Amino acid sequence: MASMLSEKAPAAVAAGAAPRRRARRTAWRAAGFVVPVWLYVLCFYVYPLASNVKMGFQNYSVASFYTGSAPFIGFADYTAIFRNPQFVSIVVNTVLFTLGSLAFQFAIGMALAVFFRRVFPLGGVLRSLLLVPWLLPLVVSGTVWRWMMYNDSGVINYTLLHLHLIGQPVPWLASTNMSLVAVIIVNIWVGIPFNMVILYGGLQALPEQVFEAAALDGANAWQRFTRITLPMLRPVILVVLTLGLIYTVKVFDVIMIVTQGGPANSSQTLTTFAYDLSFNQLLFGQGAAVGNILILVAVVFAAIYLRAVRDDGEARR
Amino acid sequence: MTKSSRRRALAVVSAASVALLALAGCSSSSTSSGGGSAPLTLTEMDYYGSAPQNSQIQGVLTQCGNQAGVKVTHEEAPRAQLVPKLLQDAAARTLPDLMLVDNPDLQQLASTGGLVSLSANGLTTTGLYPSIVSAGQYQGQTYGIAPGVNDLALYYNKDLFTKAGLTPPTTWAQLSTDAKTLTSGSRKGIAFSAAATEEGSFQFEPFFWSAGADLKTLDSPQAVQALTLWQTLVSGGYASKSVVNWTQSDVEAQFQAGNAAMMVNGPWQLPLLNAAKGLDFGVVSIPVPTAGQPSVSPLGGEVWAVGHTNSAEEQKAVAVVKCLLTPSMSSEWSKDAGYIPSNQASAAALATSDPQLAPFIAEVGTAKARTAELGTRYPKASTALWTAIQQALAGGTSPQAALSQAQSQAGTGS
Amino acid sequence: MNAKTRRILGTTVGILIVAVMLFPLYWMLDASFLNSTELVSTTPTWFPLHGTLAGYRNVLSSQGGHLFVSLIVSVGTVVVTLLISAPAAYGMAKLRVPGRRLLLFALLVAQMIPGIVMANSFYVAANDLGLLNSPIALILADSTLAVPFATLILHSFLRGVPDELGEAAAIDGASRLRTFRSVILPVSRNAMITAGLFSFLFAWADFLFAVTLTTQDNHAPITVGIYRYIGANLTDWNSVMATGVIASIPAALLLIIAQRYVAAGIGSAATKD
Repeated sequence: MASMLSEKAPAAVAAGAAPRRRARRTAWRAAGFVVPVWLYVLCFYVYPLASNVKMGFQNYSVASFYTGSAPFIGFADYTAIFRNPQFVSIVVNTVLFTLGSLAFQFAIGMALAVFFRRVFPLGGVLRSLLLVPWLLPLVVSGTVWRWMMYNDSGVINYTLLHLHLIGQPVPWLASTNMSLVAVIIVNIWVGIPFNMVILYGGLQALPEQVFEAAALDGANAWQRFTRITLPMLRPVILVVLTLGLIYTVKVFDVIMIVTQGGPANSSQTLTTFAYDLSFNQLLFGQGAAVGNILILVAVVFAAIYLRAVRDDGEARR
Repeated sequence: MTKSSRRRALAVVSAASVALLALAGCSSSSTSSGGGSAPLTLTEMDYYGSAPQNSQIQGVLTQCGNQAGVKVTHEEAPRAQLVPKLLQDAAARTLPDLMLVDNPDLQQLASTGGLVSLSANGLTTTGLYPSIVSAGQYQGQTYGIAPGVNDLALYYNKDLFTKAGLTPPTTWAQLSTDAKTLTSGSRKGIAFSAAATEEGSFQFEPFFWSAGADLKTLDSPQAVQALTLWQTLVSGGYASKSVVNWTQSDVEAQFQAGNAAMMVNGPWQLPLLNAAKGLDFGVVSIPVPTAGQPSVSPLGGEVWAVGHTNSAEEQKAVAVVKCLLTPSMSSEWSKDAGYIPSNQASAAALATSDPQLAPFIAEVGTAKARTAELGTRYPKASTALWTAIQQALAGGTSPQAALSQAQSQAGTGS
Repeated sequence: MNAKTRRILGTTVGILIVAVMLFPLYWMLDASFLNSTELVSTTPTWFPLHGTLAGYRNVLSSQGGHLFVSLIVSVGTVVVTLLISAPAAYGMAKLRVPGRRLLLFALLVAQMIPGIVMANSFYVAANDLGLLNSPIALILADSTLAVPFATLILHSFLRGVPDELGEAAAIDGASRLRTFRSVILPVSRNAMITAGLFSFLFAWADFLFAVTLTTQDNHAPITVGIYRYIGANLTDWNSVMATGVIASIPAALLLIIAQRYVAAGIGSAATKD
């Protein structure tokens, strides 16, 4: 191929008829590939975003829906939210939910990815079966887990009681202490496959020779894992954690179906709180304001991720 | 990809797109009402998700639709979603022609200006229970009229009571001891709904009002007394911890399966319970704090309302509602759905012909409409109330603390 | 421990792990056959010996239309998504269009926007255009779930494709479009299949847009069907679970058919960032 290029290159240079004009035309044609997606982004992301930001500064009430009038009230929606006695606990819930889900999803996903590196019969089939929790509609998964977590008739309490791991049935859905744990467990279950698949793909791409050399030098399995695998997997880990963070902060269906944010707002996160404000309490301006806060959080994390990726790429060059 | 497989792929994609566009064209045209020679199609919306109401409703709609010369299509939304959906529809001016909304929501809906005044269109409310009439009024006009009403009473399992040698309780003290006695193994003494929806507030209100509390002061000593009763029942294990998750439908299922010896529920469960084999049950009014006090039940039942659309559809919708609210139609529907006719005379006649309904009918006369005290501010107070109930039952907060928080949330508002 | 024992041990542990992870699915299947007393009893019924098909009968009579709507919407979403994201990924990865970093950032942020923020605007827009209850509105809304993900996957993959492939075609006189169609697309088959698969599944599982943009029951997809069924028939758990089982079938089927491509596609995309 290299020889082909070197033969053709002089011909191309000699041809140089109006190269600048052609370059500009072809640059436009190249732009044509991304015009659809830019239009798409403007219509479907920027516009809803802008109208939500606007709503966060308006007094959007029940009557506004019919009369169309929503007076501008500055930051009043935001102060109302910050003054809400439950705001702090909702933020705490969101942080706990995100960190708890991520930590376990990642750890278990990593463990499974490492496990499935071994070659054994049915390995591929089993690995694919493990993707199922992620691909099911959350409405379905949430309902099954809710059914399993019922205080009296749920199979989880029954099993735990009979294994003598607990003395009393655990009120997963009926206690303000356990409800957040319940939704975290379900979210972990839903998120493990995603983590596992991506980490597994990353592991597969690692060159075997490095490990063999380390083993020859006397490194044990744990040392190989922490000193070689983890550093080499850094870009993949970054992807998994960032995407995981994004998806977890947005989680709505799981909490909605399993606990509806209750009892008494004990499993309410910022996302479900925004929904509750808009659709249950009919305070659309405040719901929009919480939505804007979430977007800010997302933007910050996206920026951090891009900075990290850019640094990573530059370091590797 | 070879040339032929690419062409095939392209063909599939174009065929799919054409099919989609055709479907899109079909569906968007069918949502608007047909004009000219085809009969007008009206849309109706409600939250009836379970039997027997949701199987009966289309029947009465078709009957009255035929009378008015229109076709009526029925749609349901989950209870928690109905009012927000209707409010969104009001904004988009796509309200359904007919709506069957829970009576405490009517005034809030009317305040948007999206409902047609029924009183201005010739519908009368004479002969109906005054409480349900006032629930459907806003600023002097009637926007919602109920064909049937309901309330709450205490169901009890006759077999279990006879075996334990007990008679149905009349006071709270008796209720607690009976519940305690009847709790054994996996069976609990009593079941009720303390869900984070209007159903939770609805089920709590008989105890709340019988104790003498009122919705303007959620943290009064009487309110605390009522919530303490509920909290004691749950923490003592006489009622399941899952009451905070149960709907009234779930409560009925528990009672029917024998997992609860008593339950708080309404007359609409009677058709289901009567169909259950081997279940011998009775009904008494809900116990009161001390003997001799009146038992006050909240007034349940949905009201028919008509949405602003265009004058032709509105005329037809009003005609359909007129038909639905004739005493005979109301009685027929109430009977099938397990409700009590809103017409007092019909209800009185029913009490004699159907003794099972007698305790319910006796209470309806004194039942309180939930919006009577607070009007459009009721939904917010109700949300605060059920949150307090959940905090006390599921979070172990003291009733006083929970209700104080509820009062501040309902009063100044968040 | 010799190699053979180790392999058998691996399979056994693997099966155990899968059994634990997939237990909820088994439980759903079990519950879908239980009768009403077993459903509320405090002792779980591990195997539906006195099974009833009543749940499935209820579901099939009421949810068939919903399944069809879901199918139309999901296929449409795949088409729209690939039409937008494939050229975009090519432009960003190979053609070095200006502003590609901004586009990448925009797509990342786009994925983070909470669904309810978008749902409200979509509702108003769909209503103004008369597209409520039309599959087109749902297809476009669901595509917003898939386009960023698909673009990022394809972008990652294409960055790993050697530049020489495209350059060779260009020197042979092919236009960019031609290069894209004849060279890039075939090469990225795995990634395209992965992107298409996930687009389908995201659309199939979407709940928020479905419940906001459909007001008439016969135009609603299956997630809304289940939700309304659950909200209505919470005590009818066997019908609820039967609905769940049926709604899970596409995911399971697609996974079995295309699992090779999925693993390859995601794996390669992840490593080439």
